[in-house]
Amino acid sequence: MKLQTIEYYFREVIISMIRNRWMSFASIGTVAVSLFILGVFLIIVMNMGKMASSLESQVQISAYLNDEISKEERADIERMTRDLSAVSKVEYIPKESALKILRERLGDNRKILDALGESNPLPNSFLVTVTSADAVKTTAAAISDLYGVEEVKYGQDVASNLFNLTHLMRFFGVVLTVILSGATIFIIANTIRLTVFARRKEIAIMKYVGATDWFIRIPFILEGIGLGIIGGTLSAIFLRNFYSAMAEKIYTTLAFFPMIEQYPFMNYVTLSLILAGIFVGILGSTVSLKRFLQV
Amino acid sequence: MSNVVTITGVKKLYKMGSEIVAALNGVDLKIDSGEFVALMGPSGSGKSTLMNILGCLDRPTVGSYKLLGKEVSGLSDDELAIIRNKTIGFVFQNFNLLPKLTSLENVALPAVYAGLSSKDRKALALDALKKVSLDDRAEHLPSELSGGQRQRVAIARAIAMKPSIIMADEPTGNLDTKSTLEIMQIFRDLHAAGSTIILVTHEPDIAQTAERQILVKDGKITKDILTAHTDEKIDII
Repeated sequence: MKLQTIEYYFREVIISMIRNRWMSFASIGTVAVSLFILGVFLIIVMNMGKMASSLESQVQISAYLNDEISKEERADIERMTRDLSAVSKVEYIPKESALKILRERLGDNRKILDALGESNPLPNSFLVTVTSADAVKTTAAAISDLYGVEEVKYGQDVASNLFNLTHLMRFFGVVLTVILSGATIFIIANTIRLTVFARRKEIAIMKYVGATDWFIRIPFILEGIGLGIIGGTLSAIFLRNFYSAMAEKIYTTLAFFPMIEQYPFMNYVTLSLILAGIFVGILGSTVSLKRFLQV
Repeated sequence: MSNVVTITGVKKLYKMGSEIVAALNGVDLKIDSGEFVALMGPSGSGKSTLMNILGCLDRPTVGSYKLLGKEVSGLSDDELAIIRNKTIGFVFQNFNLLPKLTSLENVALPAVYAGLSSKDRKALALDALKKVSLDDRAEHLPSELSGGQRQRVAIARAIAMKPSIIMADEPTGNLDTKSTLEIMQIFRDLHAAGSTIILVTHEPDIAQTAERQILVKDGKITKDILTAHTDEKIDII
């Protein structure tokens, strides 16, 4: 394509955006808000996925013991657990230690434990480390069958719940994407329609003197893309600030939460949002041209 | 002389509800290179439809249209656009100039679509403006020109790409007598220089300028006469 032609296209796009500034503003705003909401969903879903995976890959099993069993029975459980093929380490955690750990974890809220007085509701337990994540489920099942073991807990339980929740969020994400994309495309299509309408006489003249359909269409499609890029970029800027604020808050309050590192993750998100903006821009302008530009 | 336009058995049919209306109902027409033809007819006669087909703005439903020996009735929109750009120059009653562009830019517009360089476009446009004696108004906007001057800019735009046919649709319809005479003189000059001109008009004295007059009525050519010698060439009725 010749430089003059490219120059012509860009001039047309900028003139048209300024001429329809309110509609352009509405389009950019809609794209930005829609993509921001989608972006928030995206980062939540991806972080939940990461948390679920990291929980799933944890290779520790807690086996809670019945309070009634004797020392010998407890030693049997420990021996039999050690004999399981995938087990690499077994650590006994008496109920006193468990309470101490809980007290530490609660931090400033430890006072609530004062209500317990001298009693300790926590059971004795074994913390069993397994050699690989794959063996966790079968090992946990084997341990739970042992006499005196009350309950077995491991990361996969929580992980599978979290995965279910992630799937649900993903589903809502898709529904939301469809609705928001529809709204965005509709607004962009209307903006482009106004441009087409404002320039219908010019378009007719262009046709008479031999402009091809694509020559006429390209400025409008570029305008759609322009609106999409600006909207997408704005949403990315908001989202980057949102994520770093969130990250800061989470690191200070929920330090154990395995959040996805801000970079390069947010760079990918930014790129995706801008690409999504371009996509809705092209779609919106094409829809409009199909309906309103009889060329 | 070679044929520029050869139309054979052309029909243009439109569906109106359950009825099919024929805007053109079997038209045969030949126009030679260098001819000056006036196309006449009352409104609703099919004159505009014929003009649109001749100008490659529309395609016939049935029949053949050969432009410079090439069949164009089955071409795509883009192929027709290229033909309009290179082969046909249009002049309209309401000038159809882009108000934000100067005379020079308006005249250079077809050259933009042809993909010519800025330098070539300017040279072509200035040359065309000289032919209509408006090179001194090259940097003026249409709003700064009189009606007659605007139409001269439009003619310059029509001839800038050196087309094989100039199609003028009521070119003097919006002009006063003085400007009308000026514009008709330009068409006569272009004709004398060898251009093929098709002029659509409903004014008999304007049609007299042409060497051949064609009357369209009810979707058919009902009269085809030579003006200069007033001898009938074809008389269908």
